[in-house]
Amino acid sequence: MTQTSDPIVRARGVTKAFVTGRQEVWALRGVDLEVGAGEFLALVGPSGSGKTTLLNLIGALDVPTAGELLVLGRPIASLSKHERAHLRLQSLGFVFQAYNLVPVLTARENVEFVLELQGADIDRRARAQEVLAELGLADLADRRINELSGGQQQRVAVARAVAARPAIVLADEPTANLDGENAETLMHLMRDLRDRHGMTFIFSTHDPRVVAHAVRIVTLVDGRIARDDLTGGEPPHTILPAVAARTVGV
Amino acid sequence: MRMVSTKYAARSVGRNFRRTILSIVGIAIGCVLALFMESLNKGRGELFARAGSASGMGHVRIVPADWRGRREPRLRLADWRADFAAAQALPGVASVTARVRAQVLLAVGTHVVPVELAGVQPDVEPRTFRYVRTLQRGRYLRAGETGTLVAGRAIADRLTADLDDEIVATTVGPGGEIQSALFRLVGIVSTGSDDTDLAVCQVVLEDLQRLSGFPGAGEVSIVLNDYREIDRARARLVQSVAHGDDVMTLSELAPEIEGHLEQDAAMTRFVSGIILLIVLLGVASAQLAAVLERRREFAVLAALGMSGPRMVWLIVQEALMLGGGGALLAVAAGLPLVWKLAHTGLDFSRYVGGTYAFQGVLFDPVIYGDFGWWIVPYISAVAMGATILASLYPAWYAARTDPAVALRVAQ
Ligand SMILES: Nc1ncnc2c1ncn2[C@@H]1O[C@H](COP(=O)(O)OP(=O)(O)OP(=O)(O)O)[C@@H](O)[C@H]1O
Ligand SMILES: [Mg+2]
Repeated sequence: MTQTSDPIVRARGVTKAFVTGRQEVWALRGVDLEVGAGEFLALVGPSGSGKTTLLNLIGALDVPTAGELLVLGRPIASLSKHERAHLRLQSLGFVFQAYNLVPVLTARENVEFVLELQGADIDRRARAQEVLAELGLADLADRRINELSGGQQQRVAVARAVAARPAIVLADEPTANLDGENAETLMHLMRDLRDRHGMTFIFSTHDPRVVAHAVRIVTLVDGRIARDDLTGGEPPHTILPAVAARTVGV
Repeated sequence: MRMVSTKYAARSVGRNFRRTILSIVGIAIGCVLALFMESLNKGRGELFARAGSASGMGHVRIVPADWRGRREPRLRLADWRADFAAAQALPGVASVTARVRAQVLLAVGTHVVPVELAGVQPDVEPRTFRYVRTLQRGRYLRAGETGTLVAGRAIADRLTADLDDEIVATTVGPGGEIQSALFRLVGIVSTGSDDTDLAVCQVVLEDLQRLSGFPGAGEVSIVLNDYREIDRARARLVQSVAHGDDVMTLSELAPEIEGHLEQDAAMTRFVSGIILLIVLLGVASAQLAAVLERRREFAVLAALGMSGPRMVWLIVQEALMLGGGGALLAVAAGLPLVWKLAHTGLDFSRYVGGTYAFQGVLFDPVIYGDFGWWIVPYISAVAMGATILASLYPAWYAARTDPAVALRVAQ
């Protein structure tokens, strides 16, 4: 495996069942997975294979039906709703397929708002501006969301997700609504952020061009992990173990 | 530094402009109606006091020892002149008048009418009894002149008596003997209401003392400059009246009327409450619609880790902005309305036929609202209170958005 230190996500026999009416749907049927700090991991697999479900569990948005799931050392199944919200706010970042920014706020306010919710004791406005600049949005900071293109909105969403320097950023099909060029740009920016700040990125995708950027590809089929591959996508200069050592135990 | 969350709330309120305006107008209408009712409620106390000062009852009255329980017109004050002097010495007194009363049968030829005849001091009586200030026909009684009578128009009509006609008054004396006297009708009072007219029948004090066979006076009625001083005036008078005499306030003299007015006030508060409840439900439903429209937004915020209480606070902030807008509009519309209500009053003579008599007390058919600085805090409290209440359910609903479920829909 790739990681040299303790994993920041550890799943052992994780299952998830949804009950709709009298039917039970097993979205995950025993997932074993370890993700180390600083990984850049793509979840792939056919539609309905459980990618979103797994991301939601790792993101503490939902709890597993059975099995053990530790995220940053916290057992997700036994956390209260409030504790899970706190974990998300303090340590996890989310990027959604549909951008999901607050439409009445500007780009910078969207980023600043999350910092405000966190109670981050920093110059939140400056931090928001800085992160937007990192994503090439310095000039668009004062624009309302509906005055931005899809690609720009998704970059704002990434800025919002990473502004508080979370340990893990989760992205469910982040490029699904973007054209090839914008998707490419977004992936580059996410890789940059991961290289610079050592954040772990876990994203699901159907897009082969996006998969090409992944360092590790986990393939889900029918709620089980069918393959787990390291790719040549990892440039030789990337110092993953060092990055991992810096962020573990945060 | 201004919080982004406050900007967020403010811009969310502005998002659906039409709904926001409708909510604000709804809140304002509810507040103005409640304000109108409350102003009238406060005005009722003044109406009662005004009835006391104009109907002859007085704000405070000195009565004989047992009168409070028996209400017997034959009872006399221990020393009415001393009581009269004590009343006049009271600070803030507008007028003082002494009276006697007797149950009397008036007769002209074969026409007979039973009345409560009052013996009054003609020089001061009109100051406390509004209806003898101007007469329909003839003139009022004169001090020192005996054998004259003024009566309400309904009494004169029933007796078929005209000005200068002679009227026989008959009553029962102290020993049970029948006593009669002859009076000349010098003035006719018309109040516009038969019931009220029947309560107006006066002769001079000395005439009634003689006819009834009981000397002295049965009451000293006092009108104050400011009705809010009633309790203080009573407390002072109790110290200074003749030994054995009693002092009663307007509320004690007419407890049924006060009860009636309180009942009215309770009723209008109930109606205000219903109006506000309807407004509250309207605002709640508009707020809930707004929350439902933003279900996805709240799901995202919940996913990012925004806590339930913060989400409630966000919605309550939005409600407070609506409430503030409603309060401003309500103050802008309510101030002139209540000012007019306080200055021209609400005339309900059309519905009660000229005057309004309740338990023998004549009420002005015009009620004046109360106008004062209480209006601003009152409207603010009502508007803010109603909108906060209205926002609680939508806020709670937003706060329990399950991010995993809500994010899945309409991805
Ligand atoms: N809340 C739910 N209630 C019922 N069934 C659900 C629920 N969430 C997911 N499922 C089911 O669980 C299975 C896995 O769904 P999931 O959304 O994780 O798949 P996915 O791999 O993300 O698919 P896609 O590539 O289409 O997004 C599917 O069969 C889906 O119908
Ligand atoms: Mg999915």
